[in-house]
Amino acid sequence: MTTTQHNHQVSRPDPRSWLIRTFPLALLLGLIVIVGLLIVHIVVGTVELTPSQILAALLNQADDPLHRQVIWSLRMPRALVALVAGGMLGLAGAILQAVTRNPLADPGLLGVSSGGVLAVTLWIAIAAQVGDAESLPDSGLILPILALVGGLTTATLVYTLSRQRGTTNMVRLVLTGVLVGGLCSAMTSLLLLWASEYNVQRMLRWTIGSTAGRVWVHWHTLWPAALLSLPLGLACAGIANGLQLGDEMATSLGIRVERGRAMLLFAAALLTAGAVAVVGNVGFIGLVGPHMARRIAGSDGRRLFPLSVLLSGSLLLLADILARTLSLDWLGRLTNLPIPEGAGLPVGVITALLGAPFFLYLLLRQQQ
Amino acid sequence: MSSDTAPIVLEAEAIHVHYGERSVVADLSLQLTQGTVTALVGPNGSGKSTLLKTMARLLVPSAGAIYLDGKAITGMASATIAQRLAILPQGPRAPEGLTVRELVEQGRYPHVGALRMLRQQDHVAIREALALTDMERFSHRALDTLSGGERQRAWIALALAQATPLLLLDEPTTFLDIGHQLEVLELVRRLNHERGMTIAVVLHDLNQAARYADRLVVLQRGTIMSDGPPLTTLTPTILEQVFGVRAHIIPDPETGAPMCVPYATIKT
Repeated sequence: MTTTQHNHQVSRPDPRSWLIRTFPLALLLGLIVIVGLLIVHIVVGTVELTPSQILAALLNQADDPLHRQVIWSLRMPRALVALVAGGMLGLAGAILQAVTRNPLADPGLLGVSSGGVLAVTLWIAIAAQVGDAESLPDSGLILPILALVGGLTTATLVYTLSRQRGTTNMVRLVLTGVLVGGLCSAMTSLLLLWASEYNVQRMLRWTIGSTAGRVWVHWHTLWPAALLSLPLGLACAGIANGLQLGDEMATSLGIRVERGRAMLLFAAALLTAGAVAVVGNVGFIGLVGPHMARRIAGSDGRRLFPLSVLLSGSLLLLADILARTLSLDWLGRLTNLPIPEGAGLPVGVITALLGAPFFLYLLLRQQQ
Repeated sequence: MSSDTAPIVLEAEAIHVHYGERSVVADLSLQLTQGTVTALVGPNGSGKSTLLKTMARLLVPSAGAIYLDGKAITGMASATIAQRLAILPQGPRAPEGLTVRELVEQGRYPHVGALRMLRQQDHVAIREALALTDMERFSHRALDTLSGGERQRAWIALALAQATPLLLLDEPTTFLDIGHQLEVLELVRRLNHERGMTIAVVLHDLNQAARYADRLVVLQRGTIMSDGPPLTTLTPTILEQVFGVRAHIIPDPETGAPMCVPYATIKT
């Protein structure tokens, strides 16, 4: 009886079982795509270089020192920042969707993004009051560290407020996150209104999210956060799987629900804060990436989490390639809009412009 | 199956359970003996689900204690409990797209932990759980594509993958049609007969409880009103006192178990 059923199963292979068997292959494919995107990211740009010039620059044998400068100091760190920050936002989204059992949860849920951005805008505003803004450091470490601290503080506040009698209510957590996040965004808007035109530009890059001008110093704040939070988040996949079945089922399986959930929320907060601290509040990556991953790998965190990292990283890298190559000059000529010549698009605008319709498309397809 | 000498595997000792200010279970003691199928019955709000959850450490009693194999449950690690006791709560929900196999694999959590991979014995346990519930051919189907009966069997397979000697089921037949209800109850009996599992199950249908359980525990307002084999517990007096109905008790033509046929409610 058992063998006939087994044969029956083999004779009609299920696409999902095929995927499970070939999951390592899917991960490998993802890595190949990422390497491809990294190469494209480094090759394209305003300073046009031939492949041989790029290869020479990569191997430190460039004829023109400018080539080496462009590749090693500008494009390489920016590509790595986009890739890793995207992956972190993707894992944060996947974790929060599992913990809250809500497929629409995104990394901003705990108020981390808005809290981080508020800390940055507050610093820029205060700096403008204290002295001349130009002389104060803003390309260095201070802004990312402030964003990290601001984001984690907000997450702690949201978590503390949503606790009641030793347990965390997920509905309360989501609502508190929305409220605290909204409060932070309102204060950021106020600071934007008061700021000088020059500072508004700097602040907006954080509220929209941008990878422009991200160099090694930014990478050096990103990788320690990534090294700590990515493995932590991935290791919690088994606990997240249990929590996805509800608190009672998770307890029944021997999972210590409150502790496991706190660990997952901490991982998500660290992932988001670390990413937002370097690229600002880039939207939709943490929502679209995990959703694409779920369509491919299903809801099992052991497959969903790593694939979310790879896909979301690739997406932000791809969006950044677009951000670096798309020019809006044609729009300015066409419409008389006051668009400065050669103005770039922040990557956050690209992810929102492409992510929102794509997400809508996913939702509509799901309904059919 | 039960005998007076069978060891007690799970025991509630003088427990009180409160939801906020409201007392749901009051000074209740219950002992489950090895190899017995016990059905908890009672009207809505009588505390049967609460009692089951408390015995499985899903709820914490405000007084009293739960003993698993003679040891107080409060001092035990949750994973250790999960290796000996599995409980299927009422109406569990799975994330969209989760397959039966992925669900059942999670039953190995108490044996494997959060970080390790599944080993040979885990795959054996998962295969066995799927075979017992006749879910092998659905193992790669998403849960949300299955019928209610199939889905319930998948959840039972998850509990069976835990490979525990003790299984608690909270209203496993609710929302199922009569055929699927019997399927679940027959599975309960098979698990008891063939594997010697100790099972406690909350049921609404008194006749099904009398037919498939060795012992009925009748609850009302958080206390036990009657406890024993169906023949002595399913009586007109109990039905009047606890459920507020007048009923004929007749023997089941198939098994001889008592069957109640209610014919009037009692207005108070």
